[in-house]
Amino acid sequence: MRFSEILRIALIEIKAHKMRSFLSFFSISIGVISIMYTLTLIYSMNYRLKKAIEVAGPGRINVELKKRWEAQSDMEKKQGREALTYQDAAALSRVFPQLYMVSPYMDKWVEFSDGYFSDYIGVRGITPQWKKRGWVYKLKGRFINEYDVQNAQRVCVIVKEGGWIKKPKWMKFYSYKDPLQNYVKHSELLGKTIKLGSGLFKVVGILEEPPAEKNPRSFVGVGMWEPKVLVPLSTAQKFLSGWSELGSDDIDGIHVDTGDPQTIEKYKRLIEETLKSLHGKKLLFNIKDYREIMKDQMADKKRDMLTVMIIGAIAILAGGIGIMNVSLAAIYSRIKEIGVRRAIGADKKDIMLQFMTEAMLLGFFGGLAGVIVGFIGIQYLAYKGDQNMAMLSWWMPLAAIAAAVFTGFAASIYPAKTAANLDPIEALRYE
Amino acid sequence: MIKCLNLKKIYPLKSALGYAALKGINIEIRKGEFAAVCGPSGCGKSTLLNILGFLDIPTEGKYFFMGEDASSFSDSKRSFLRRKKAGFVFQSFNLLPKLSVIENAMLPLLYLGVSRKDAHKKAYSLLERVGLSSKSENDIMELSGGERQRVGLARALSNDPEILLADEPTGNLDSENSLQVLTLLTEINKERKMTVIMVTHDMKLAAKAERIIKIKDGEIQE
Repeated sequence: MRFSEILRIALIEIKAHKMRSFLSFFSISIGVISIMYTLTLIYSMNYRLKKAIEVAGPGRINVELKKRWEAQSDMEKKQGREALTYQDAAALSRVFPQLYMVSPYMDKWVEFSDGYFSDYIGVRGITPQWKKRGWVYKLKGRFINEYDVQNAQRVCVIVKEGGWIKKPKWMKFYSYKDPLQNYVKHSELLGKTIKLGSGLFKVVGILEEPPAEKNPRSFVGVGMWEPKVLVPLSTAQKFLSGWSELGSDDIDGIHVDTGDPQTIEKYKRLIEETLKSLHGKKLLFNIKDYREIMKDQMADKKRDMLTVMIIGAIAILAGGIGIMNVSLAAIYSRIKEIGVRRAIGADKKDIMLQFMTEAMLLGFFGGLAGVIVGFIGIQYLAYKGDQNMAMLSWWMPLAAIAAAVFTGFAASIYPAKTAANLDPIEALRYE
Repeated sequence: MIKCLNLKKIYPLKSALGYAALKGINIEIRKGEFAAVCGPSGCGKSTLLNILGFLDIPTEGKYFFMGEDASSFSDSKRSFLRRKKAGFVFQSFNLLPKLSVIENAMLPLLYLGVSRKDAHKKAYSLLERVGLSSKSENDIMELSGGERQRVGLARALSNDPEILLADEPTGNLDSENSLQVLTLLTEINKERKMTVIMVTHDMKLAAKAERIIKIKDGEIQE
């Protein structure tokens, strides 16, 4: 029998039992919705991971001081008195000149004031290495250079947020406005002298972020807070009067990029050895693969995803059982028909194919309904500002439908076999 | 064309021996013959028809169909023979109520892989032959018993079978319709030189056939 005929029979059968068919594919639909949701999440998370690593550098390693509470033993706590220093960073770039970026930094909290405006803000001390990675800005004026760092110049660069091209709805209810950003937006600070803590600093450059939609940094959205005012590292150490628990030559950490993901493990080891040889046991520090950090930050989303996935799997399973149940029931109401079809020449394969086609068609319709509802739902979530949901792509509905059809297939094997193995004479005689 | 040698069919029962529906049947039916198999109910005539129509296999003995031993064929081979060589007419019509008249009539052709268009054409001409072309798009439920049996006949003929097997074709019909169906069967037998085997318990109907095979208690009493 031609497949088009088998399909026609299956459609007639489904149409003849609308409610029964609807019930059996309903739960498949729910499963499909959650599959789509999960796929979108997985896809978006991978995409973000890739983007984040692209922005941060492919071979990114963060060297940070271990927090006191992270120390393993009492001994470590007693010995760990030293901090990372600028000299460590200098030593790293001297010993490993092949490293693409060795960017030491330190953060301080100080009061920013200009005229009547004042606000407590975070200021980051950096070296020109900073701009080697994650540079998404349009620069007005100039950036901090080697001269500034070597001579501890009192200059600063301010990051100006890009805002939104079209603000998403959820942002409108988010009422907090960074006062500094608001001030930067409405005043021309380039070339002006402002006050950081008790010192006067000249604003030599403004870094304009692209609008949030186009900014990979904001899309990455990995919750890494970054100060919006940058000063030379040496200046931060010497002249910033804000609170910090570090000593005069100390820094908070070093961002390293080996330039190649392959060499991360190697340099993690080498850097660890170098720092240990410089400080002995007195320095407690962590060397973290940036990808690990990212993965940690995504762990929450992963848990959500897992929950949804399990719900989806259960729903699909229930749908499959529903289809199986319906198919089995259908056999008993169609024994006579099976007998007639067998008598006029249908072989076991024809009967089996017919039942399986019917079940797969049920799966397909369930999948289709799920995809439509899921698509609308995901579009809605994306519209509401869930950036993950904006990553829905064309193949996900297809994959979800394929899963639904496969469920129908798997659930119908047993009923179809049962139907095909009916004795034609018995079936014919059945009333 | 058909040759049976010591055909036996024994249905297993819970008791040790089992029920013997056929106890060694030996018959030969030539091509183009119109044979009526008659006998009281329970004598095994339906069982014989099922074996001759490849629906069932004998427990013992040989069934030669066109020189081939069909008693040992596999399920799929027998399905193929039913599809290709045999046409069935049933007492209770056994039409599919979800399909229209013409769809019922063309069903065997669809199982043969004929395109819907060609099958439709063929089925329509057969419905014309049995005088039902005006009701080809009707539902089965809208037809009378006689009409239904004529649809059944059209269906049985659609694959141009070598043998037409009719199991009490008039059992559910009044005398007028019975006569009409029987006339059609004889006409088709003559027109197409088609072998027709009809099972009946009505001797008056059987008398219309060329040959009567009487069966009693699973044995032939010709």
